[in-house]
Amino acid sequence: MHIVVCMKQVPRDNSVKINADLTINADGIEQIMNLFDEYAVEEALQWNEKLGGKVTILSIGPEDWKEQIRRALAMGATDSLLLSDPAFTNLDTFGAARVAAAAIKKLGDVDLVLCGRNSTDDETGAFAPALARLLGWTQLTYVGKVVTLESGRIVAERHLEEVVETVEASLPAVVTVVKGINEPRYPSLLRIRKVAKVEIPTWSAADVGLSAADLTPRLNLVNRVPPPPRPKGEIIEGKDATEKVARLVDKLMEAQVI
Amino acid sequence: MANEIWVVIERTAHGDMAGVSKELLGKARELADANGMKVGALILGAGIGDLAQVAFSYGADTAYVVDDGALAQYTTDGYVGTAAALAKKYQPALILTGAGFQMRDFSAALAAELDTGVAADSTNVMIENGTVSAVRSSHGGNVINTLTFAPGRTAVVSVRKQSFPEPQANPDRSGAAVTENLPGVPMRAKVVSVAPKQGAVNLSDAAIIVSGGRGLGSPENYYKLIPPLAEAVGGAYGASRAIVDAGWVPYEHQVGQTGKTVSPKLYMAIGISGAIQHLAGMRSSRTIVAINKDPDAPIFRVATYGVVGDANEIVPLLTEEIKKRTGR
Ligand SMILES: Cc1cc2nc3c(=O)[nH]c(=O)nc-3n(C[C@H](O)[C@H](O)[C@H](O)COP(=O)(O)OP(=O)(O)OC[C@H]3O[C@@H](n4cnc5c(N)ncnc54)[C@H](O)[C@@H]3O)c2cc1C
Repeated sequence: MHIVVCMKQVPRDNSVKINADLTINADGIEQIMNLFDEYAVEEALQWNEKLGGKVTILSIGPEDWKEQIRRALAMGATDSLLLSDPAFTNLDTFGAARVAAAAIKKLGDVDLVLCGRNSTDDETGAFAPALARLLGWTQLTYVGKVVTLESGRIVAERHLEEVVETVEASLPAVVTVVKGINEPRYPSLLRIRKVAKVEIPTWSAADVGLSAADLTPRLNLVNRVPPPPRPKGEIIEGKDATEKVARLVDKLMEAQVI
Repeated sequence: MANEIWVVIERTAHGDMAGVSKELLGKARELADANGMKVGALILGAGIGDLAQVAFSYGADTAYVVDDGALAQYTTDGYVGTAAALAKKYQPALILTGAGFQMRDFSAALAAELDTGVAADSTNVMIENGTVSAVRSSHGGNVINTLTFAPGRTAVVSVRKQSFPEPQANPDRSGAAVTENLPGVPMRAKVVSVAPKQGAVNLSDAAIIVSGGRGLGSPENYYKLIPPLAEAVGGAYGASRAIVDAGWVPYEHQVGQTGKTVSPKLYMAIGISGAIQHLAGMRSSRTIVAINKDPDAPIFRVATYGVVGDANEIVPLLTEEIKKRTGR
């Protein structure tokens, strides 16, 4: 079975700045593997251990994303692919999905694509559904357990807000996973050393047959601002806990929130 | 491009119209009236009953109904295939959906199918001179983006619950019901079973949330203090990631960047430091109460009311005082 995991590099925290040209400035913030993608990598590795085949880490980004690809390789992924091109610099979610779809078609023999349920920076959760539609494949989102994975078929539990749906579907499929589906492993020291010098194949827009027109955003960013500051708060003083509590409850009742 | 705004109608577990769909019908009505447009309700399912009439009472002019056993359960293929076929036929200018998991699955796939974009989990949507734009946050609420759809393409926007007020229903309003058939779409997935989630909480629906963090010291203290306070204020209870990862509380309850994003009327953070990833999930709450023994805890920077003190002492007193005053 050939499993592709789509992996995104994101800032560790979101205390980002907004540049004058509305791009995001994450200078000085450590870059990590999107947390939900770690679960996708782990899930791919566990099934690969059972079924054999290969696990390809696919990422769309600049050269320095190779660091997180190497982390996934050190966790145990067998193959990797970086899609990198100046034309990919400011892709929107669907643009990224078009690039990934073109690359997956070119890879050719893929059975399953695993993704995190969303990235923690853009938070659209729209990449995987768009990818599934572009490939014309089955889509299963918010999966908390893959029950069965075999040639041509998957059974998975979708963990929704109030119910768990068990769904049987045909492969190839695009699946997104939630936190808690597994416990992501740490990269092993041995493998970290082993993959340090591995050549990571890199494809450009031309390599996957995409033109600038294919990458035009469907949505245009027209403004980007920080959230409005919260009104200044108040520390409730009092001679003891009982007095503080009474004053707090006064405030909450006055504000009609309780 | 027809002059219509569509709302995709969702149902509750009991088959009633979901609150978010009513909110969206209200918003669609307002946008339609201001722009000389009409409101369509897209009702997909099996045994749909009088949902069309409910949609009219909340502001729809037309209800597009596909009532088919194949749509009894949500599947991406069934719902997106059907909605895409109808959207291609009627060409609405804008399609609004809720932003729960099922509709996030649906709206993104539908947008891809229509070769347009999706403004996911938006908190506002506008139409000006025929151009649709939407407001959504990213980066854990630290960035507010305004996005504009290219004219001539159907805009697809999923909207977070409680972004708009629920309109008053007018049972005397009526409209036109248009019955459509299920198009021939591939159905590659089948729902085998649906089970209620153990201890499910719908934090995104709760008007009041009481959350606890590592400052509570132990899972025993969490359960001794947090659920009773939540019950006294009639709310749900949440948690920081630190105590979810420590196994005190199931993940369902996690608020934050990698948990749930919530914006209740009242959020109480107890023994929670206020790390940026936690703030990401709750900073848009209307009123925030923080109880923490460290006066320099970052949570106090977003709190409307802060109490510096030991949660083990404050919380039982607070629960009692609230019960006494509200008679609960
Ligand atoms: C990629 C990533 C994603 C993350 N996602 C999330 C997320 O979704 N949600 C989330 O919450 N966190 C998230 N985090 C973790 C976050 O950074 C913090 O580690 C976490 O929120 C801390 O939880 P806490 O406030 O409960 O614990 P601590 O940071 O340990 O804080 C405990 C607080 O309790 C106070 N305290 C101690 N004793 C008492 C007492 N007796 N009475 C009153 N107060 C007391 C302390 O003063 C302190 O402020 C994420 C981190 C990363 C790297």
